[in-house]
Amino acid sequence: MNKATAGLDSLSESELDVLERKIAGKYMHMVPWGAVVWGIGNLIAWLAVWPLVLMDIIPLWLGFVIATLNVALSYLPSHEAQHNIIASKGQPLRWLNEVVGHLSTIPLVLPYRVLRYTHYEHHSHTNDPQLDPDFNIHANSGWHFLWKSIMNRQPESARSKAYPETLQRTGNEHMILDAIIYQSMYLVIMFTLAWTGYAIEAALLWWVPKQIATTYIEYYLSWAPHHPGKEQGRYTDTRGFKSRLGNLLSMGMQYHIIHHLYPRIPLSLTPAAYRELKPILQRRACNLGEL
Amino acid sequence: MKLIELLLSPIAFSIGFLAPLLAQVLLAINTELSTPVAYGTGLAISISLGIVAQNRGSWLWVKDHESDHE
Repeated sequence: MNKATAGLDSLSESELDVLERKIAGKYMHMVPWGAVVWGIGNLIAWLAVWPLVLMDIIPLWLGFVIATLNVALSYLPSHEAQHNIIASKGQPLRWLNEVVGHLSTIPLVLPYRVLRYTHYEHHSHTNDPQLDPDFNIHANSGWHFLWKSIMNRQPESARSKAYPETLQRTGNEHMILDAIIYQSMYLVIMFTLAWTGYAIEAALLWWVPKQIATTYIEYYLSWAPHHPGKEQGRYTDTRGFKSRLGNLLSMGMQYHIIHHLYPRIPLSLTPAAYRELKPILQRRACNLGEL
Repeated sequence: MKLIELLLSPIAFSIGFLAPLLAQVLLAINTELSTPVAYGTGLAISISLGIVAQNRGSWLWVKDHESDHE
């Protein structure tokens, strides 16, 4: 037992639970305005890139770089909304929570309701081979993840069926229609652009950024925090890890263990919550790596 | 429903997007190439890929369970 956890030795399990929840509670119930601005601003920036490139105001290569960043950054604000962090049902800002949730993932062509309900299942059944809709992300190593990520995007892959199957299993199959509408609209836009002479622009402002961003998001949000993905249970299904790219470029996912324990803590506050909860997590024998 | 299935199929993606993309890349690389030749080449390559994806369920021929040697 190290120095940090020594003071906790005298606490019973129930006292430790109370202390843990008391600390976590300090970081909840505040509106993450940064995520609101990020979600809406990022979508506006991505939409603005299109006319800027098509009217030759900025070069295509620069548009590609900006669009790739935009698409990669589009998931997390919606993730905050999925967990009702901006506002819960019945609160005055509930509409804003839903606006951010719906709008921010448009560049990823992922409908909010589909993401929300499949993500709840991921939280309820993390690392369960049968019930975790993100289980197909698991891989033995980073390179294996990359290969699986490519294979997961093939038309008949198990991954491509995981979300529809989860929605069916949980009685939310009507939401599959959202995904069909999103995907149909995306393809109609892409086909129209391509056959009117803008195929390269469509590829470099949407299609390729979407592929890169999907890999990046899945790596940091799904693979890295749950690797090796063999354990189930509140304190063992997610790990802390030290990213070579730092916390910002790993999208704050070094502290994803905090998110799984307390999903209502905003992303921006997970590092502070982690630092305060660390002795308790050590006492719980969580895998915290070098973090 | 059939129309939506067709729209979401690999064949539609190959004709609707990959074919003009390949053609426009060819035209950008070789400015002396005629447009019909570029689009003909784009269609031939992309439809071949689309048929593979449609029948195999994978653009790369290999399927996910076949590639996993865990």
